[in-house]
Amino acid sequence: MKRTYLGEFEEIVLLTVVLLEGNAYGVAITHEIIEQTGRSVRLNQVHAALQRLEEKGMVNSRMGEATAERGGRRKRLFTITAYGEQTLLDIQAIRSQLLHLLPRPLKPLTSI
Amino acid sequence: MNQHPNIPQPPRWADQLLEWFCAPHLLEELQGDLHEEFYYQVERIGERQARQRYIWDVLGFIRPFAIKRKSSLYPSTPIFPFDMLKSYVTIALRTLWRNKGYAAINSIGLSVAFCICTFLFLTAYFQLSFNSFHQNQERIFQTYFFKNAPEKIERMGNMPLPLTPALKAEYEDVEGAARVMEMRKSTLEYKGKFVEKDVTLTDPDFFQIFSFPLIKGNSKTVLMDLRSIVITKTMAQILFGKEDPMGKVLQIGGEGNQKGYIVSGVLADVPENSSIRFDALIRVENLPNYQATQNQWDAFSHKAFVKLAPHVDQKTFESRLKPFAQKYLTAEIESLKNRGAKPDKNGDIFAIRLQNLSKVHFDTDISSGPPIAMVYAIIGIGLFILFIACINFVNLSIARSFTRAREVGVRKTLGALKGQLFVQIWGESTLLCFLGFVVGLLLTYVLLPEFNAAFGAKFTIKYMLQPQVIALLFGLFVLVTLVAGGYPALQMAAFHPVEVLKGKISLKRPGVLRNSLIVAQFAMSALLACCSVIAFQQVNYMRQKPLGFEKEQVISIPVGSKANGRQVLQRMRNKLASDPAIVSITGTGVNLGRGKDGTNSRSVIGFNYKGKEVASDWLLVDYDYIKTLQIPLLGGREFDPAYPSDSLDRVVITQSMADMIGEKEPVGKFFQTDTAGAKIQIIGVVPDFHLYSLANEIKPITMHLSHSEPIHYIFVRVAPASLSASMDKMKEVWKEVAPGTEFIGSFLDENIEAWYRDVERLFQIFGLASFVAILLSCSGLFAVALLVIEQRTKEIGIRKVLGASIPAIIFVLSKDFIKLVLIALGIAIPLAWFFMQQWLNEYPYQIEISIWIFIGVGIAATLIALLTVGYQSIKAALANPVKALRSE
Repeated sequence: MKRTYLGEFEEIVLLTVVLLEGNAYGVAITHEIIEQTGRSVRLNQVHAALQRLEEKGMVNSRMGEATAERGGRRKRLFTITAYGEQTLLDIQAIRSQLLHLLPRPLKPLTSI
Repeated sequence: MNQHPNIPQPPRWADQLLEWFCAPHLLEELQGDLHEEFYYQVERIGERQARQRYIWDVLGFIRPFAIKRKSSLYPSTPIFPFDMLKSYVTIALRTLWRNKGYAAINSIGLSVAFCICTFLFLTAYFQLSFNSFHQNQERIFQTYFFKNAPEKIERMGNMPLPLTPALKAEYEDVEGAARVMEMRKSTLEYKGKFVEKDVTLTDPDFFQIFSFPLIKGNSKTVLMDLRSIVITKTMAQILFGKEDPMGKVLQIGGEGNQKGYIVSGVLADVPENSSIRFDALIRVENLPNYQATQNQWDAFSHKAFVKLAPHVDQKTFESRLKPFAQKYLTAEIESLKNRGAKPDKNGDIFAIRLQNLSKVHFDTDISSGPPIAMVYAIIGIGLFILFIACINFVNLSIARSFTRAREVGVRKTLGALKGQLFVQIWGESTLLCFLGFVVGLLLTYVLLPEFNAAFGAKFTIKYMLQPQVIALLFGLFVLVTLVAGGYPALQMAAFHPVEVLKGKISLKRPGVLRNSLIVAQFAMSALLACCSVIAFQQVNYMRQKPLGFEKEQVISIPVGSKANGRQVLQRMRNKLASDPAIVSITGTGVNLGRGKDGTNSRSVIGFNYKGKEVASDWLLVDYDYIKTLQIPLLGGREFDPAYPSDSLDRVVITQSMADMIGEKEPVGKFFQTDTAGAKIQIIGVVPDFHLYSLANEIKPITMHLSHSEPIHYIFVRVAPASLSASMDKMKEVWKEVAPGTEFIGSFLDENIEAWYRDVERLFQIFGLASFVAILLSCSGLFAVALLVIEQRTKEIGIRKVLGASIPAIIFVLSKDFIKLVLIALGIAIPLAWFFMQQWLNEYPYQIEISIWIFIGVGIAATLIALLTVGYQSIKAALANPVKALRSE
């Protein structure tokens, strides 16, 4: 079976890159993940994940315009690649396929 | 800074840390993100916490992905570019291989120079390290007398016996004072085992002053007892073998007057670089006539060393010694005043002064070492030779650089940086240097025994492995690579690629530097050659100058201290009286020349004759002295056993002594050496003869006969037959007349030769150095000529086509080089004349420096240069011009 090399955290970062379409860079992604998932995420983790994603060819990056609030330093803006999108879809497909095959539906945890 | 102080800032050091570890291509975005996050957090949780968080975040980035430098499309130069270096080495080996001749000349020249240099520097290092093993060296001094005599200033290292005890008693600053009296070889005996060794007399303070390490015994007490003896390890092994020598009794002295000493300590062997040399030490009180002489201030017999308290200034202490000298040495001062001596600028006529231990070895007046100038000369020669080899290197590299200019051009066009080219070319030279260095060291190792034999040195491999020596050699290597390799590399790396590739460069350089280096080389070689020729002539002159006696066919036998010289002489006379092969036999107190025992002594008397101060050598002789040495009599007669009083108060004097006392007819005249003494009658006059080497001026000699003073040397004149047979015969006779002692006789002419061994060594060093220098210079010239003529091939072709004759072409090609050699000679000859005149001035009997020496050296240098260049020129001139012109 085909394997996609994508960790769980990488998947979330990749999804956030899509979410922030056009304005996905380190700080924005970190804040977005914190906001959306409530996890405590640190900048270095996000950067490491982005680095790996880029190496795997899931995202592309380019340097953005200089901005004043960063002391004139440029941002690196990330966009998802077709391969990245396909991978996300693949993961999605496998999950839903597996969920379909389950003999009984999963029960959510309702009480302590 | 344009940042407002009130605007919060992330911690500076964290930022710097980030800038340091973070990969450059990531820095901008990471720092930007971090700063943005920081300002966001300032708004959210306040500046203080934001700063803490910032630090935490920065530390979080110390992870491989952030640190790792980019390595994708354009690799940055690694710290150790292995592949590049490998390529450099390959290229270097290929070029060297292609230019085998050049490489060989360079590395052979360098290795010979390294080898010679190592030897010379070892010699110099050894000399300079003299006495350096003593602790507190700066506080140890040898005393000497300064004597401002009317004729000239004299300095004497010999002291009277009461001096050091008085010094110690009167000056608190004198921490220790020791007399050091070196005796002739003494016979030591232990249980029937005899050795002849140097026993030195000294004081207990010896061990407080010097740092000769004791293996056994306590340095504070070893010499406390009058009967104590301290011996060296080697001597302990010879005499006692495996026995423990401590507390054993040794006998010192000849037949009949042996004295026992108790071994109280064993010393490590005296280092080679010590001025004070001995095999055993005993107390000075054991001197045979110590009781009689211990208070005599006018008998100078030994060296004295003092150790001053810390921080005592030498000059101040010397001035404090003035009253001391005036108190005890009045007689000396008065007699000098009578002779018209004036005080020098310090107000001294006769003073006690101090020489620091570190300088004692080079102070020729008070010690037997070489003058310091000689050591500097050796270092200078070493540097000369190294410099000449370096010049070869530089010249060849520069000359060759034209042929490699294209390579440099191409490399530069392809993007090589100047630094990279420098490293490459310099690395090649270093490779060559290293080759030369290694071969040079191997050569040194192989030639070490030869060198030791030729120059009487005792260097071992161990000596070369000392850290200082290794550092010195390594330093030399680095220096040579920097000078010889660095300059040409710098030159080549600076080539302009466009010009080089157009082929312009070879036309542009007149080679001023190359020419001046060739001039320097030849000047040095010529200088050394002139010096060695002059030194050789001086040695030869001293060897051949008549000495006033016949040195041929005389055997001189040192008696040694075990046997009684007078008895041996008598037995010998009895035995050989009727032998036709023996012409005559005599005895004396002073050897002529330097015999195998190596010792020499001198005794001088001074007295007043009719108001005139007279000083003369006081020479003990025996009957037939004048006959044996075949000195003609000018008047009077020789000592004769028929006159009994000849052995009491009769003397034979030399002509200069007669002149000194001012008597035209000295025979029959009387004189007194001191007012209370006996009247001494002059019975004969002989011409002056040289009792000491020609490095000393001829001095008046008074010969006397005495039955009480010991005879140290026996001279035997043999009939002019086979010399080795005579020597063998004497050996046989010696066994009978002096049983149990070693026969160390030698021919007088050999002894005389030995006088000049030191000067001879100097001229040998000069000779060897100049030979090597000339060889190196010529090999350099040869290679340069080769390259220059190669470059001018086309020119020669055109000249030939236009009708130049072969001699004309040879002349054109050689002219430039000969000009250089002539300039070099012009520089070298005046320098050589000046230096050698200085050197010769030290000798009372010197040669005139002849102009022919310089002419000869000049012609020889020019001829050698011509031959070197000529071979190449002729080859070029004979070549077919078609070949030269066709090729492009």
